[in-house]
Amino acid sequence: MKKLSRTSGVALAVLLAALPFGAGAAKAAGTLTISSPQDPGSWDPIDTFLVNWSSVATNIYDGLVYRGPDLKIVPALATEWEVLDEGKRLRFKLREGVTFHNGEAFNAEAVKFTFERLLGEEGKKGPQRSNYAVIDKVDIIDDFTVDLILKQPDPVLITKLAGYGAMIVPPKYVSENAEDFVNAHPVGTGPFKMASYEPKVGVKLEAFADHWGGAPKLDAVEYRFISEPATAVAELQAGRVDIVIPPTIPISMVPTIEADGKLEVRSVTSPTVYALRFNTGSGITADERVRKAMIMAVDRKAIIDAVLGGQAQQIASFQSELSFGYDPKMEPLPFDPAKAKELLEEAGVAAGAPVQIDIRGNDATFGEVTQAVASYLQMVGLTATIKPYETNVLLNDIIPQGKTGAMFQQSWGGWTLDYDNTAYLMYHTGERWNPYDSDKELDALLESQRSMTDTAAREKVLQQIAEYAANRALEMPLYNLNALYGVNKRVKNFVAPPDSRMRLNEVTVE
Amino acid sequence: MTQAAARLRHFKNIEFILGIVLAGTMTLAVLLSPLLFPDGGEQINLAARLTRPFTDWHHLLGTDPLGRDVLARVVTGGRISLLVGFASVAGAVVVGVVMGLVSGYYRGFWDMLVMRFADVQLALPFILLAITFIAIVGGGLGNTIILLIVSQWVQYARLVRGSVLSLNDREFIHAAKAIGVPDIKILFQHLLPNLAGPVVVLMTLNVATNILLESSLTFLGLGVDPTIPSWGGMLADGRTYLQNAWWVSVFPGLAILFTVLGLNLLGDWLRDLLDPTGRTEA
Amino acid sequence: MKTGGGISIAIPRSRKPSGRIDPARGALGRFPEALVASFLLKRILQAVFVVIVVTLTVSFAIRLTGDPALMLSQGAGSVTEEDLANIREALRLNEPFIVQYWGFVKGLFTGDFGRSFLGGTSVSLLISKALPATLALALSSMLVSIAISIPLGIHAAVHKGKAADQVIRILSLVGLSFPNFWLAIMLVLVFSVMLQWLPPSGMSGLSSFVMPAVTMGIILTATNVRLVRTAMLETLRSQYIQVARAKGLSETTVLYKHALRNCAIPLITYFGLQFGGLLGGIVVIERVFNWPGLGTLAFDAVAGRDYPVLQAVISVLSLLIIGINLLVDIAYGLVDPRIRTR
Repeated sequence: MKKLSRTSGVALAVLLAALPFGAGAAKAAGTLTISSPQDPGSWDPIDTFLVNWSSVATNIYDGLVYRGPDLKIVPALATEWEVLDEGKRLRFKLREGVTFHNGEAFNAEAVKFTFERLLGEEGKKGPQRSNYAVIDKVDIIDDFTVDLILKQPDPVLITKLAGYGAMIVPPKYVSENAEDFVNAHPVGTGPFKMASYEPKVGVKLEAFADHWGGAPKLDAVEYRFISEPATAVAELQAGRVDIVIPPTIPISMVPTIEADGKLEVRSVTSPTVYALRFNTGSGITADERVRKAMIMAVDRKAIIDAVLGGQAQQIASFQSELSFGYDPKMEPLPFDPAKAKELLEEAGVAAGAPVQIDIRGNDATFGEVTQAVASYLQMVGLTATIKPYETNVLLNDIIPQGKTGAMFQQSWGGWTLDYDNTAYLMYHTGERWNPYDSDKELDALLESQRSMTDTAAREKVLQQIAEYAANRALEMPLYNLNALYGVNKRVKNFVAPPDSRMRLNEVTVE
Repeated sequence: MTQAAARLRHFKNIEFILGIVLAGTMTLAVLLSPLLFPDGGEQINLAARLTRPFTDWHHLLGTDPLGRDVLARVVTGGRISLLVGFASVAGAVVVGVVMGLVSGYYRGFWDMLVMRFADVQLALPFILLAITFIAIVGGGLGNTIILLIVSQWVQYARLVRGSVLSLNDREFIHAAKAIGVPDIKILFQHLLPNLAGPVVVLMTLNVATNILLESSLTFLGLGVDPTIPSWGGMLADGRTYLQNAWWVSVFPGLAILFTVLGLNLLGDWLRDLLDPTGRTEA
Repeated sequence: MKTGGGISIAIPRSRKPSGRIDPARGALGRFPEALVASFLLKRILQAVFVVIVVTLTVSFAIRLTGDPALMLSQGAGSVTEEDLANIREALRLNEPFIVQYWGFVKGLFTGDFGRSFLGGTSVSLLISKALPATLALALSSMLVSIAISIPLGIHAAVHKGKAADQVIRILSLVGLSFPNFWLAIMLVLVFSVMLQWLPPSGMSGLSSFVMPAVTMGIILTATNVRLVRTAMLETLRSQYIQVARAKGLSETTVLYKHALRNCAIPLITYFGLQFGGLLGGIVVIERVFNWPGLGTLAFDAVAGRDYPVLQAVISVLSLLIIGINLLVDIAYGLVDPRIRTR
């Protein structure tokens, strides 16, 4: 036994000697560390649609306009703008004296270059182009004035200019460097510039002192890509990460974070809504009465309180309260199992009729929600089964091809916060997310609002659409899930945005 | 018989007893689950969610986030784990033994084909094979079992082929061939019984491995339907509750640990008993 | 050699150090040089064949997993067929399969695997960062396992049949019986969250290796303890150990210097074989510890239908495994001529 312990003792000593390093490594003063669930792979604005691209890139780039956590559109690289030619021309006065991180000057040429690139051959390779296809061309009026000429009026465009594909890039830098170099070494006018990027591991940003809005208060920001929720929370608890951003923290870990004196959970209303949509084309759910019965059979409020720990709001239509087109007066169908049974009987649904619910296999929280839903359906005499799919199979194959069961999961969260971006894609005939339904009246409503420039009138139509969809019970609206941030209390002045697009120039750390 | 040998047997028995107690108890409980828990632990009760264990006699091991009884779910959930474990091994044995017999007995072209096929199989890392396979055909119980069969028949094929090669030249096979016994009869009546020992050992150990693999797949979100309680699924779902409701994942974890350990102990014991030359390594 | 979440290593009989040698073929003795060359050639040709089938299968199978263009355009508002066609064109998905496959095979030789569909990062760059991370983790897992199993195996061999032997065997089986991802999460809770001794994830310095390597290493330990024990038992029976003992050398010297050295070669061969298996089983652990290795890379790639990355990762891993097996085969074939005719 003596010889044994000697050898293993040495091994143990070697391991123990390695312990102190890295474990509680002290952070440099003024550095904020953030855990983000995903590496977008490229930092080029035209290459991505990922919200976690935005969580980083919002600090690197500026758009003509900016939309912060209060969701108001405010000046950024454009100081003012006006709508001309009945909405078909937008004129922007540009901010003077702005430079990119590489020293290039920002001017009208940069704006023209950015949009021509987005809409041209370069943009064709990426997913962003279609969002801005309404822009016909960019006219330079003078060095600091540009006009965006639109093919038709687009009420949502100004919001879209605050993010993603519309981020302004430096013309000389982008055209002189190879594509993959630009992808990995983004240059913008934002408050932070990229110091280093290690694919799949993380990104380091450092303060850009010459930012037009003043130097940021932090010296540096480090992002680490951590997808496994339990791991990200462990990093937060170990003090090696200051903020864990959505969509990482599952509801189930909220009590864990709240129990830690050093940490807090910031919960904000997000654009993300969840629904179980119906196969309106065939089976028992082709009958509107059955759909209504199924909605009424499920106590959605109880699910939110118990399974979601109250971190969600019940919805009556497939949008959050942040969405343009949201009608606070709309009420969800009540929880009424007796009425549900009555309706099912009226529709001639046999007891024990099977209902298959298709969900994403990787969403544990929604899995629990669906099981609760299934058990409520069971109580009114339906036999609910749940079929999990790998997310991409569900999204790219099962739903668009109309191969779902009676119900399927849809989670949605457009950053433009405009109900059009949801409703058109969900309800218009022939759209990818609408494999089953075709409703002429609904189509007409959806088309009509797209060219309206009168905001108030448009909002009315959008509300009308929501009402119409609810009357036909096209989906079982479930809830609007809060965005959950796990934050170390040493972080000050951090305002959690609803859309994960964080701008960190005012944030400080103790 | 020396005293040492007698003592050896005595200690062997510890392994056997421990193995049979662990694996036997777990298997028995799982098999009896329809009687013990007729509702299969499916009863959702949101009001009683996350009850602590040993506080309520109705929920001895507490309840999960949906208020379902953890004990009932652990016992019922074992059905999936054991089904996947045994069915996949049964499938792999059938495929592997047939392939191994054919390639070892006939040699030549078939041998080459089967063995190269086996090489390809062995060169593909399991989990990567699994994520690609599931991405193509989707998850679920049946596909999980097929996946495990696909990735494990090779072990049996190699084992059987090696044994057949060494048996081929043995006198009783020569004799059987000489008196005109048909190939199929030689294969199944003469060769197969001689291979039973190492195959049974490998099977026992593989059931253990496959129960673990199933839980890994479910952990990665590639496994069986989450509505059917399974140990892997309970572990995966419970992992984010570990700090505030440890029992949700600790009990199914222990169930896996005990069952797999029991099977491994039995396999180890069987190996010494049936396969003293050590043709199976695990 | 097949592996997974729980690593189990089945070593073909022909490779066992003490495995019985087929009596009918055992007496053939040494082969002439020409036969050695033909044996090598045959093994190498077989390996090449396997490489071709593996890469072909992988490239083909990946293309059944779904359309990357749809993936890339998810959430991008109204996507038209034209937009999708543009993206497919840019990703060169319109080319016939055989052209795409040929491009990939060329890449295997030139080291240029193309660009990731997600963001256009060079795949070679991704692999060149992830491969060392995975290899380092696999290697440290082996070291942990060896550091545990050599003393335990020797101790078990010396005390064969006694209580210590049984306890060691049962304990090593306990290690094998844990669902490893679960063990990993529990270790993180204890050592990172409660004690705050070790970093919970990522690869940053030596301390970050401890938990992942221990989690992986424990799984191998059951197998390795058995291997060491068997090899030692055989060595201990040999004459020169008796001689060494008779000379009055200390038991430690006899065991760790003489006996261990004697069984080093077969043991090292096994550890080599295990290495290939480890590479395949490491994915789950990489995921829990957010390890920037091939497993994490592959996992993200399959989720994003990132064909170039996924096929490169699987192929690189497969090539490694094939290469290691080939080396072991050749080494064994050269050492033990009786295997060549198999």
